[in-house]
Amino acid sequence: MKRITKIATYAALALLPVFASSCTDLTENVYDQIITDDFYNNKDEVVSAVLRPYTHANAWVTPGQNGWWRLSELSADQLAWPQKGRHGYDGGNWIRLHYHSWLVDDGPIADCWYLLWTGIGFCTTAIENIEKRDAGSMGITQAEKDAYVSDLRLFRAFHYLRVMDLWGNVPIVTQIGNPINPPTAERKDVFNFIEKEILDHIDAAPVLSKSFIGRMSKASAYAMLVELYLNAEKWTGTPRWDDCIAASNKLINGEAGGMNGALALDPNITDTYKPTNHLSKEIIFSIAYDFQVSNFTPQWTGDFYHFNQGLINGNDRNGNDGVVVIPGVYTTFDDTDKRKKEWISEGPQWKYGTNNTEPVIASGGNEYNGEQLVFVDNIRKNKLGSTLSDMTQGEENSGVRFNKYKLGPITDPNYRSTDWAVYRLTWVYFAKAEALMRKNNGAATQEAVDLVNTCKQRAYDAEVWETKKYTTATLTMDELLAELGREFIFEGYRRQELIRWGKFTTASWWDHKPSESFRELFAIPYAQRALNVNLKQNPGYPN
Amino acid sequence: MKRGFSFFSRVCLHSLWMLLLSLVAFSQNRTITGRVTDAQGNTPLPGVTVQVKGTSKGTQTGPDGTYKLEIPQGSTTLVFTFVGYKKLEQPISASATTNATLAADVTALKDVVVVGYGTQKKTEVTSAIASISQEDFRQSGARNPLDLVQGKVAGLQITRTSGSNPNTSPAIQVRSATTLNNNQGPLVVIDGIPNGNLDLLQQDDIESISVLKDGSAAAIYGTQANAGVILVTTKRGKAGGSRVDYNTYFRKEYLQRRPDFLSPDEYAAKIASGEIVTTDRGHRTDFLDLLINDNNLTQYHNLAFSGGNDGANYRASVYYNNMEGLLKENGRQQYGGRLSITSKGLDNRLTAQFNLATNFNKANLLTDGGNLNGYLTFQPTYSPYNEDGSWYFEQTSTNELARLHQQTDILQQQTTSGDAKVTLDIVKGLKGSIFGSIIRDNLNRAQYAERASELSIEQRQGGGYAYQQSELKLKYAVEPTLEYNLTLDRHNISAVGGYSYRYEVNQGFDANNYGFQNDIFRENNLNAGNQLVLGKAGMGSYKNDNTLIAFFGRVNYVFNDKYMASAIIRREGSSRFGANNKWGNFPAISAGWNVHKESFLQDAAFISQLKLRLGYGITGNSGFDNYASLVTMGTGGNYINPDGVWRQTYGPNRNPNPDLRWETKREWNLGIDYGFFNGRLSGALDLFRRKTVDVLSTFTSQVPSFVQRSIYTNVGSFESQGIELSVNATIMEKKDFRWTTDVAFSNISNKMTSFSNDIYKLTFIDRGDIGGYGALGTALRTYEGGRIGNFYGKRFAGFTDEGKWRFYKADGTTGPADEISRDKDFAVIGNGIPKYQASMTNTFRYKNWDLRVFMRGKFGYQILNTLEMLYGNRQGLPSNVLRSTFTKHAKLNDSFQYSDYYLENGSFVKLDEVTLGYNVPFRNKYIRSMRVYFTGGNLATITGYSGNDPDFVKDTGLNPGIDALNNSDDRRSYLSSRSFMFGLNVSF
Repeated sequence: MKRITKIATYAALALLPVFASSCTDLTENVYDQIITDDFYNNKDEVVSAVLRPYTHANAWVTPGQNGWWRLSELSADQLAWPQKGRHGYDGGNWIRLHYHSWLVDDGPIADCWYLLWTGIGFCTTAIENIEKRDAGSMGITQAEKDAYVSDLRLFRAFHYLRVMDLWGNVPIVTQIGNPINPPTAERKDVFNFIEKEILDHIDAAPVLSKSFIGRMSKASAYAMLVELYLNAEKWTGTPRWDDCIAASNKLINGEAGGMNGALALDPNITDTYKPTNHLSKEIIFSIAYDFQVSNFTPQWTGDFYHFNQGLINGNDRNGNDGVVVIPGVYTTFDDTDKRKKEWISEGPQWKYGTNNTEPVIASGGNEYNGEQLVFVDNIRKNKLGSTLSDMTQGEENSGVRFNKYKLGPITDPNYRSTDWAVYRLTWVYFAKAEALMRKNNGAATQEAVDLVNTCKQRAYDAEVWETKKYTTATLTMDELLAELGREFIFEGYRRQELIRWGKFTTASWWDHKPSESFRELFAIPYAQRALNVNLKQNPGYPN
Repeated sequence: MKRGFSFFSRVCLHSLWMLLLSLVAFSQNRTITGRVTDAQGNTPLPGVTVQVKGTSKGTQTGPDGTYKLEIPQGSTTLVFTFVGYKKLEQPISASATTNATLAADVTALKDVVVVGYGTQKKTEVTSAIASISQEDFRQSGARNPLDLVQGKVAGLQITRTSGSNPNTSPAIQVRSATTLNNNQGPLVVIDGIPNGNLDLLQQDDIESISVLKDGSAAAIYGTQANAGVILVTTKRGKAGGSRVDYNTYFRKEYLQRRPDFLSPDEYAAKIASGEIVTTDRGHRTDFLDLLINDNNLTQYHNLAFSGGNDGANYRASVYYNNMEGLLKENGRQQYGGRLSITSKGLDNRLTAQFNLATNFNKANLLTDGGNLNGYLTFQPTYSPYNEDGSWYFEQTSTNELARLHQQTDILQQQTTSGDAKVTLDIVKGLKGSIFGSIIRDNLNRAQYAERASELSIEQRQGGGYAYQQSELKLKYAVEPTLEYNLTLDRHNISAVGGYSYRYEVNQGFDANNYGFQNDIFRENNLNAGNQLVLGKAGMGSYKNDNTLIAFFGRVNYVFNDKYMASAIIRREGSSRFGANNKWGNFPAISAGWNVHKESFLQDAAFISQLKLRLGYGITGNSGFDNYASLVTMGTGGNYINPDGVWRQTYGPNRNPNPDLRWETKREWNLGIDYGFFNGRLSGALDLFRRKTVDVLSTFTSQVPSFVQRSIYTNVGSFESQGIELSVNATIMEKKDFRWTTDVAFSNISNKMTSFSNDIYKLTFIDRGDIGGYGALGTALRTYEGGRIGNFYGKRFAGFTDEGKWRFYKADGTTGPADEISRDKDFAVIGNGIPKYQASMTNTFRYKNWDLRVFMRGKFGYQILNTLEMLYGNRQGLPSNVLRSTFTKHAKLNDSFQYSDYYLENGSFVKLDEVTLGYNVPFRNKYIRSMRVYFTGGNLATITGYSGNDPDFVKDTGLNPGIDALNNSDDRRSYLSSRSFMFGLNVSF
């Protein structure tokens, strides 16, 4: 008995830790991360949350990832990512985008969905956290709090605008995780939600100024309204041409501020795209970069640049030899159009700074390994003497190339800091011109012609301009579409334009044949529909 | 009661007898001498303890095996004890000389099996536990301690995907994949230290390796035990004289199997014939050959000193090891030591045991095989040099040879573990212990690329590149336990209970810079680069921790040596778990029946052992990232603030999951341990069925409404079942000749039963990124209910006349690649997990010679031959391609496509080790024993597979069966090599 008592005593002693709370303490000590609840305690933290969706927008609004840009341009009539020898097949993704044969589970479409909705999530989480906190507890004034919230709401509206552009019918979500499975809303309702969000916050938004480079402002809000109303007929069935013109006028008349003085067209075809384009007068909203002080730098080099591109530009940026101009597009620019040579690379390539004396020699074991790199305006296997031209027949030098935005040589103090313009005034001019013409049953008015000519004139020398400018007779709707193509090549809007002209699924270009009308909207990603039963597939796609 | 009395009376009588003896002993003494020899070699045995039975009088034999002992009058018996030999009691002869011959005790070490928190008699084990002791280890010179048991334990898969690379660990899996995470490996416990560091183990310091295969054994380790538990026991000093052991080997690797690319001459000939349209640059370079280190030589030395007496023992060992891989700039040097001391006090009631081990290593990480494909595909009419002798660089490829000359990448690591265990016999049968351990692991990695190197010129404006990283990991454990043993009559109860507190903390720092004026500083003066000012220097640091707390207990009950039962419970919590699920319970129960002890089998003399075992256990897996359940704010890059300053942005980088919990595995195991014909045929058969539920994985989340597209959560479940058989047979036993055969066989089948719960629904998971040209996506897809490791791809239907691919669609028609829908037309076209694994060891002994032949094989699975797929296609030209491009795939004139066209049977049999050893029959007072051996490793592989060595293709985890040459999905190819090794073991 005594032994048993003894054993019991020792066992009890050994079990003591059970009762000592420190011995069952499983608290996580977070050293190198921040828990959301511990955030939003001072102004810097609040600003850093407000700005998070902006760095994220780089991922989806500019080329370089599976974002809005790739879906919009690689499915349209100007750009493609053909297979070039052993490179670029990439699961057939680019081929299917080009032929409009994408599947409900195609990676680029799903990736783009996630990128956009994560951006919306960054906005919403910041809105929720800032709204629920007292301004004083965050170390900011009530006015600042309101300004941050309206900034975020406008930027979220911008995301919704682009989500609606691609998929049409999507959920309207304003709270994280609630409901977990949000239902699909009609495109019309999404349109109304976006319009209301913009109109509710446009007054609180700051006028555009130097401080608001790369940020939402009154000017960006009006630009969003321009886009919304320009496409309203297609998106809701109800045209809003007058609203489009009214919003355009706010910008054209300088009522919403400007980044560098009053908003105005840049005087030439280079200022908007050069490394110092933060000095541009016409950019309304851009993704702002500064490689030198922040390491934040354009991501699109991978999409556009050849493997040896750095030699051409005198810097260290090379790419995947991906996106090229579709054969036939280059020749829609006439030779006196300065945009042709300035924005597009064609022909033999020379090393930077050698005055066309030292050729760029291709390396890396592709077709033209060891030979001078020459970008040609065709997509076929010239090396093998083939004339067959389609998405699978490229070589490493196929297609003429993007050269619109420039990063500068490595010695440039603004190297790799070129901002990506999302909205620029020229685009507003064209939008207004288009609205005027559409209001006028597709015939040009003098005001529309003047708007377009003002923009176009920059691309020509004075001596040829008179023969190149439009008149109310020559500026037909088709011509407007062609001019939009030349002016906004590489800028991401081509799919929207083709859809407004009714050509996206009906026209042919290069090896692309007309597709089905339901292809005007992308498929809701399969994986999301598997998770969220309230998400409806767009018409035409297999359920 | 009657029995109890007789027990008592026997004790009394015995005590009385002893008392009488000792009284007599006082009266008269005499001196005897003698010599102790080994029964087998008839060699003298020094250090043998010689004791007069029933007294404390004793001595030890000297170097020549002789002893001299003064014995009390009336002594009748001497007791001879020596490590590794059977205890011998010998009557004292009437003359003054009593010689003794000791027989080696081959079974002594095997009788007891290490289980978690204790040991068990093998005959009483009720779970699936395999134990391998030193004499059965593989002998090819281990790069990692688990190489020693590769192929030795049925159900323990050890796959070395990177051949002779000394800087990699093998993939280890017990029975089957149990998780979707990358962390598939079993828990390794070294002398009681949980999550021990394998670097600290040297092959000659290991006594035995025990594998807890099933849940009923492993449950004692709770949430760390899903993938099984490997218990390593190191050697200790033994009572007896002091001894010194020296072990060494030298090894050399020879290239065995190289990918079949066109030779430079063949390539040039094809340019000449127009089959390859490119320019002949005039050189003929075998690029691969430039990377091979023909002078590789690996050496290993281990010197151990040990000894002890009844009250204390010690063992100290030091080692030096220099390993060189088959590839240049791929090596590892290490040295270190291990010390263990056991000491008793308080009248033998207190036992204290200390271990201290350390490892210093310096690894050259410049090559890991991942760079091979660039050089294999390099156009062979190029030279790595320019005309003027300088290195040839081009922007789109890496001059690998130049890289090896102009860059460095050195990892220096030091790991130390110390542990102490103090045990007190509190009252009879009750022992209390406290165990504490610490492992400190710190490393420094340093990289430098010279100014003239390709990396520097092409990416850092010729300013060199320097990088340093340091990391410190600390692991603490404190585990007090109580053990209780009670034998009542035919009942034996043993119980252990305890508390475990473990804390791990990791922290690290790294920095890089470039823009150096010269190569003098290398990575040693990072601030001398100019990028600190210019803003492109990099810096990072991190720190995280986790706590694991458990209460555990086990009770074993044995009745009459016939019936055994065991029950385990562990209650465990981890800081990693979500707020709503901090603690879990992990019970297990098992039972055994020694059938051969039943009277009805008494007449069956040929049965020496027959035991049935049945067990069920629940274990868990908490092996995921720290902080995985919390919503943390992640950085999103700098953006411009209204004041013009660029500041960091923050947003949530995880979706919340307060319900995050461990994965749970439930496992049944039915086993038979058998022994026939006096143990000449023995082994074990195990059948198991296991199911893992709440499988953790990164699942796609609803976006919207969540921010991030993925959530780490418990959703899926797995099932697997299998058979494991081991057979140990003594086929022939003659006076001078002995032939034994050991076979291990396992069969396994896996199934992913579900990926869905109320919230998350998924019909399939994709794994196994193919990579390489053309972004071919993933090779493996498992639908709910399908097998793990299923290849899911297009079905080849032939080529068109133009050499274009045609593939089958679901409806039986055919089409080109871009018409084939991944969801509709793809099909399961194979499986990458071997159905059967088998190994066989044949050991022959003839007098002092021994010969061991070890063969391994895997059967019933496919391998995706990515070599043929990515390098056997004209699209790859003018980079170098495989010969098969122009033979087997001559017809093909289309893009790279993944389909069953490239799936091959992966089955193989490998002659993995042949060792010829000779025990030199020294009769010398200085040398106790000496053995020399010669080993050939990886000698031959019989397979129909045409790619790399199929043995190097991963067969564990969830992305098995994909050959490597490109480096996607963490695959690294390494050339297969034959090794030849000379070794020597000497004992002094």
